[in-house]
Amino acid sequence: MAEPDPPTNELQRQLQLLGEKFAERLAHELPELASKAQLLQAADHQAQLQQLRSLRDQLHKLAGAAGTFGFASIGQRAHELEQQAMHWLESLRLQDQGLQEFIQQVQQFAAQGVQSEPAPNSRARPQATPKAERDVHCIYILEDETSIGESMRLTLGNFGYHAEHFSRVADLDAALQRRLPDALIIDVNLGDSEQTGLAYAAALQQRLEQPLPLLVITTEDDFATHLEAVRVGAMGYFTKPVDIPQLENRLERCFAQQQGEPYRVLIVDDDHHLASRYSLILRGANMLVEVLESPAGIFEAMSRFNPEVVLLDVNMPDCTGPELAQIIRFNDDWLRVPIIYLSAETDITRQMNALIKAGDDFVSKPIADNALITTVFSRAQRARLLSIALSRDSLTGLLKHADIKEQVGIELERAQRSGKPASVAMLDIDLFKQVNDSYGHVAGDNVIRALANLLRQRLRRVDSLGRYGGEEFLVVLPDCPATQARRILDEIRQRFAELHFIAGGSEFSVTLSAGIASTEQGASDAGELLERADRALYAAKHGGRNQVSQS
Amino acid sequence: MPELSRILHVEDDPSIQAVAKVALEAVGGFRVLSCSCGQDALDQVQGFAPDFILLDVMMPGMDGPQTLAKIAQLVDIGRIPVVFMTAKVQPAEIEHYRGLGARDVIIKPFDPMQLAAQVRHIWSRVHG
Repeated sequence: MAEPDPPTNELQRQLQLLGEKFAERLAHELPELASKAQLLQAADHQAQLQQLRSLRDQLHKLAGAAGTFGFASIGQRAHELEQQAMHWLESLRLQDQGLQEFIQQVQQFAAQGVQSEPAPNSRARPQATPKAERDVHCIYILEDETSIGESMRLTLGNFGYHAEHFSRVADLDAALQRRLPDALIIDVNLGDSEQTGLAYAAALQQRLEQPLPLLVITTEDDFATHLEAVRVGAMGYFTKPVDIPQLENRLERCFAQQQGEPYRVLIVDDDHHLASRYSLILRGANMLVEVLESPAGIFEAMSRFNPEVVLLDVNMPDCTGPELAQIIRFNDDWLRVPIIYLSAETDITRQMNALIKAGDDFVSKPIADNALITTVFSRAQRARLLSIALSRDSLTGLLKHADIKEQVGIELERAQRSGKPASVAMLDIDLFKQVNDSYGHVAGDNVIRALANLLRQRLRRVDSLGRYGGEEFLVVLPDCPATQARRILDEIRQRFAELHFIAGGSEFSVTLSAGIASTEQGASDAGELLERADRALYAAKHGGRNQVSQS
Repeated sequence: MPELSRILHVEDDPSIQAVAKVALEAVGGFRVLSCSCGQDALDQVQGFAPDFILLDVMMPGMDGPQTLAKIAQLVDIGRIPVVFMTAKVQPAEIEHYRGLGARDVIIKPFDPMQLAAQVRHIWSRVHG
């Protein structure tokens, strides 16, 4: 039976109206919640329980209803408070301090009320929690083999993700209604389900306003399954047994791509009208754009704006595009910036001549919006990747030896100025040579990459992190006394030891040792601090490895 | 497959009652009778002769599971699927509800634009 075609506008209007009514209801109900919570304080035990039950019921209603009307975060918060109320009711003991906190939380929730909510859509949809609310990436795993799913969940948890595992499609569906994750991992072969994981993923992606980053795991290694995976938008393909650290590495890459800063594009064109049009199109694609109308301003614009792509008009009155491109290419610092010509030129020979002099690509006017975006985007993306690859360690993406060492000096000076202690930690993977010898270099590289990712996940944003040598890492922790650094590193040590690696059909795990030195004992220069950290590392190795020691 | 056209919806929350009615009627093209409590549903179920019953779990007085038990004495719930609507449940709870005779659980909050499709999906599973 075909779905009747809904009179969409009328429906939208009705839903909108209902949403407005619900907002009015919230305006009454939230203060009511607050006064109920207030009453919890005064009452005797029996009355308290009764009051709490009524509070729980009201929260339950809100939790179930708010999302339907587009108030997703009110619904979520109500649900959390409802869980707390249930917890109190189950334990039947109302401890003073905890209860005070609960009352406060309910009152805060009631006070924030509707203002805290983004304008509701008339079409309510499950909404992703805004990025700012959480730094932790949420991953949903659909895997019917519980042991595999659970081990993935635990390992990803160790990496600092919030992972949830579901064995059945229905459970995943329910979770998706509550909250959209940042990425999905789906097993293609779902034992007793009538559809494959890929068919499910395809239907799901269709339903969402924005497709979710998706990784698939499978026992199939054939071309057809690969192709199907690509078509549902998979960003990674892993055959069982899954090497989870490698999968984590792929996740990391997905998120790095997503969170990238906007590309910076410089347009040089004397035609003001055209330039603003291009600029508008590219800004619409979330790029940062600057327009330069006079070529003479090129040096200033290049150094200040530091563009990642330059778009040049070929025919300008004072100076042609190819001439300007050659001027840019005189400076080695700008060698990595792609130059794209914009021109009405359709004569192939003349285009070639322009490219031979300098420049990387040509787009002909009039150019379709999408073609412009795609050309600029792909050039910018590649340029950025290259530039990162040049300054970072290729295996781990961390700072290289010289750069991280420089960071030690910078933080030491900062610590001396501010009087706040900084710590450095030197880490070394235990018996790494054995890993390489027994499982091969690919496995060894995986271990190094996994540790790099683990460090990135567990450390604070202000900490710097570098690959110091083969299997040696250096961490610089500003405003962090040695005892705290030791706690942090010891937690990382434990989590690292819990990781399981897979190579050639066998599973293994690896440990690490670390040495910590801090500015608390005074250090005249970076070299001294590093030497102390190195001695502490040596002590940890001597003490039997798999431990953290402090100078 | 028999045609699905009449839905009995039992829900004490007036906002949810209204939005579900709009969603099921306008989007799904169904005819919906809304009841505000379990007793109301018991009084009306035979007269309305629904094809499908949506039942809120937590209601004052007679709750969802109690209402379901009584409805099962009045109509054939093998032919007329009863589906619970409830907020955020654990998989174990869903199993529990199935054990009571519910065909499925629709999670709240629901998307009004999707509700009719969810109902249809369950219907085709039951009768397909």
